[in-house]
Amino acid sequence: MRLVQSVVHGVFGWFDQRYNLVPLIEKNVTKKQVPCTLSWAACFGGLSLLTFLVQVFTGMLLLMYYKPDPAQAWDSVTFVKSNVSMGWLVQRIHAVGANLMIVLVFMHMARVAYYKIFRAPRELHWISGVVLALLTTMMAFTGYLLPWTQLSYWGAKVGTEIPGAVPVVGGEIVRWVRRGNGISGETLGFFFAVHIWVLPAVMVGFMLMHFAMIRRTGISRPL
Amino acid sequence: MEREPHQDDGQRVDPPCNDGRRTFCKGCIVAMAVGSGSMVGFPLVAFLARPQTLDLNKPLEIPLDRLTPGQAQYVEYRGQQLIVLLAQDQPMVISASCPHLGCNVIWDSGDAVFHCPCHGASFDSAGQVVKGPVSSPLRKVPFEVKDGKVIVSTEV
Repeated sequence: MRLVQSVVHGVFGWFDQRYNLVPLIEKNVTKKQVPCTLSWAACFGGLSLLTFLVQVFTGMLLLMYYKPDPAQAWDSVTFVKSNVSMGWLVQRIHAVGANLMIVLVFMHMARVAYYKIFRAPRELHWISGVVLALLTTMMAFTGYLLPWTQLSYWGAKVGTEIPGAVPVVGGEIVRWVRRGNGISGETLGFFFAVHIWVLPAVMVGFMLMHFAMIRRTGISRPL
Repeated sequence: MEREPHQDDGQRVDPPCNDGRRTFCKGCIVAMAVGSGSMVGFPLVAFLARPQTLDLNKPLEIPLDRLTPGQAQYVEYRGQQLIVLLAQDQPMVISASCPHLGCNVIWDSGDAVFHCPCHGASFDSAGQVVKGPVSSPLRKVPFEVKDGKVIVSTEV
């Protein structure tokens, strides 16, 4: 116990001497003042971030075995679930966590809408938040296709038909999203790239803006 | 353990505290941290372990009745080409890689020799050098015969 304490103090002290971390930590974490009128409902935004981080982490682990190829995708997911130790757990956390993240994002939005937190000066918080919610649903949609099951195939088929309702260019959008006329290996590769790199990178950008704006204006105080 | 704070000397003194209770709480926090840390750590370490059931990590098994006397069978094992040869009713496992520059040797069943297509080396059916720009024989791979199967399980 005492050894652990002295090691932690020694290592932390080394960094603290150089970067003067204690005031930074006190200001942002240990002695940060938040309005006492905030309820637990104010945690949904932070919980959405936590589930995002869990998704990134479990996604990295799944990526070690996943093969974005129609002939191998299902086999590789099945391999993780049945042959890799604890693979079933990681795969389930990633799949269930996706649903949980959407639930938390919408609870966060519902609270912000109900308390009218989106009003000036926080309009851009809301707008960037709506963009993040859309990106989250796109993450879920692209990830759904990757196990290449009947369910994911038809889910992608129906989902990609939606932009077909757009006048004039709708058909072209559908073909663009599918990388062709139907759901194929090209669609799988495209969804894979979008799921693991394009959307997460864009999401991180919007998240940083979202958080920076909240720090700048301060958290909204309920009466 | 319990001390009265000296309030008369003008200095602020920390109120007395129960060290036993504080140590107990600290211990609980550490135990919970270790518990939740291992709940994440154990699955992580288990996931990152080399999967034992991958084909790549399985032993190589070839039934003896699938081998023809005087015919070489080429098999891939952990990323390498191996040759299983039944000569004089004795199975033999050798690496197909020529010890000269690593080309795969070709079995000539008519002359019962291995030819290297790159620089013309040849080896007899035991893997010994017959001719060519090479001084060492084809590398033998350790194997065992069990239940009528040739089994290679070591790293090659």
